[in-house]
Amino acid sequence: MEYLSLFVKSIFVDNMIFAYFLGMCSYLAVSKNVKTANGLGIAVIGVLLITLPINYLLNKYVLAPNALIEGVDLSFLSFIIFIAVIAAIVQLVEMIVEKFLPSLYSSLGIFLPLIAVNCAILGGSLFMQQKEFANVGESAVYALGSGIGWYLAIVCLAAIREKLSYSNVPAPLKGIGITFITVGLMGMAFMIFMGISL
Amino acid sequence: MNTNSNVYTVIYTTIVVVLVAAILAFVSQKLGPMQAANQKAETISQILTAAQFEDFGNSNAEKIEFYKNNISEVVLVNTEGQQVGNLDCADAQIYSTSELKAQNYNVKDESKDFTIPMYKFNNGITVVPIYGAGLWGPIWGYIAVESDLSTVAGAYFDHESETPGLGGKIKDDPSFRAQFAGKKIDFSDAAPLSIIKGGVPAGKENAVDAITGATMTSKGLSAAIVSWLSALKPAFEAAAPAPVEVAACEEEVELNETEE
Amino acid sequence: MKETFLTPLMKGNPITVLILGICSSLAVTVELKGALVMALSVTIVTGLSSLVCSLIRNTIPNRVRIIIQLVVVSLMVILVDQFLKAFEATYPIDKALSVYIGLIITNCIVMGRIEAYALGNKPIPSLIDGLASGMGYGAILIIVAFVRELLGSGTLFGLRVIPEAFYNAGYVNNGLVILPPFALILLGCIIWVHRSIDKDLQEK
Repeated sequence: MEYLSLFVKSIFVDNMIFAYFLGMCSYLAVSKNVKTANGLGIAVIGVLLITLPINYLLNKYVLAPNALIEGVDLSFLSFIIFIAVIAAIVQLVEMIVEKFLPSLYSSLGIFLPLIAVNCAILGGSLFMQQKEFANVGESAVYALGSGIGWYLAIVCLAAIREKLSYSNVPAPLKGIGITFITVGLMGMAFMIFMGISL
Repeated sequence: MNTNSNVYTVIYTTIVVVLVAAILAFVSQKLGPMQAANQKAETISQILTAAQFEDFGNSNAEKIEFYKNNISEVVLVNTEGQQVGNLDCADAQIYSTSELKAQNYNVKDESKDFTIPMYKFNNGITVVPIYGAGLWGPIWGYIAVESDLSTVAGAYFDHESETPGLGGKIKDDPSFRAQFAGKKIDFSDAAPLSIIKGGVPAGKENAVDAITGATMTSKGLSAAIVSWLSALKPAFEAAAPAPVEVAACEEEVELNETEE
Repeated sequence: MKETFLTPLMKGNPITVLILGICSSLAVTVELKGALVMALSVTIVTGLSSLVCSLIRNTIPNRVRIIIQLVVVSLMVILVDQFLKAFEATYPIDKALSVYIGLIITNCIVMGRIEAYALGNKPIPSLIDGLASGMGYGAILIIVAFVRELLGSGTLFGLRVIPEAFYNAGYVNNGLVILPPFALILLGCIIWVHRSIDKDLQEK
């Protein structure tokens, strides 16, 4: 698969939010203003970019049938291994950022623990396992693309919500209700990319 | 006890991880055969559906029994179209989807040699598998041809994660699958059998209509059919003019390379 | 005890009020059958994980708390997944749910209930709280799936319910309902109704 087409496809066509609803909890919770959305979005890109290639290698050389020992299929362990890698990486990144980049930590740090339970990250790994990429490069490109797609989605929604807070929405629909409908409409708009052949 | 000391943390984590791994290994060991049986029965029912059988039962055992009663032989063919082996019919041996996936790498890579099973049934129908990528994930299926090895008798497709109601129709919409019946596989065409968007031209006998609203899935399925059928071209040509009598399961079939 | 059970179903509904666990929920609501299995799986996972975490709550070292919780939750999820794959009746549904079963691990409901309730309460109430949260989640899932399957495919549990006469008269299944974005819009409407009835939940 061409790297460029995979990259564009994972941003727009396979968008984590609009096509798969992955990472919705933090997506809805942290999209009240653009600044925090920006921080979480960058953190997601970073963590995806580190964990996906690692999980790809683990999947290929340890978990896949006959990979480690002939005749042994460890794929039943994949969920637990993936989530352990993600949790460990998140912890590690948090410590490193805290130690060496305190200014970044103070703006980003609070989001890092949230990311361990962000479905977009685990979902990225599970879809990577399902899509059967040919090499580690493809998995990294896919990680970058999905991360950027997620970033794009959260920043767009945050911008809309900032404006929405000044509008006169029916009381029961205020807040989360109208946000859901907005996301639905954005998702519909994103579906136009599905027909594009890359 | 100090639950925050390093030693305690390390020991605790180790115990939890070992315990969990042990439980999982045990459960997976126990349930593995049941899962494999489900997968096998599912694949068999897909092959049977493609081969135009109906009422082959609902339970796994019934499906496998029906398959055993109706299969005549399963030959494995390679890139040159030569027969390189058989699958055991009495044991209802088949190629699982993951084996097809493994072969798909060899089909796509011309420098590699593949082994593809051809399922021959008592009613003269031969079923061949196909495998490829749809919009979201892998798609695969089975194409059944009549004893002339050119008229399509039927087809069955399955997918891992196509959109239900759109791309998912390759599996769920019987009218899409029904289009395949009666088509002719034409190896003189670069696409022996394909799926065309926007209506099949009159007189074109080796194409069917794509699914509306599922362009990418249709394209992927078409590409999968074209690449697997093209790969099987030598095998089809080697076997095509052969007599219609289907060899019994136990006897080794001679290669028909001298024919034509 | 009764309150522990009822709160997560209505006033503290994980989806419409706490906005937890949207991730894996919406993609599985195209068909009722899948939604039902998903709802049951989540209920079992939240219930058992809450129970286990509550049992070991005093022994967990604080620094690795999240990881230990994740391990317990993934154990439950893998067990559910393995059992679904093993039985003849549930095997096709497990296949249809694909990666979304695995994503129960990161379903915020599970972790959320463990953090917020199970770690500070006795095992039995934790179990009830977990089960009820799972059911509250499942209820919404089933409502959404009911509407989507009925309008999108004209079927319920795979059985045709809209009579043939309707189709002959020009009725067609709505393709939009099947697409992912519609689930979000539908959920928005459910929240609208829920908050119109229960005015305390309205946001200022």
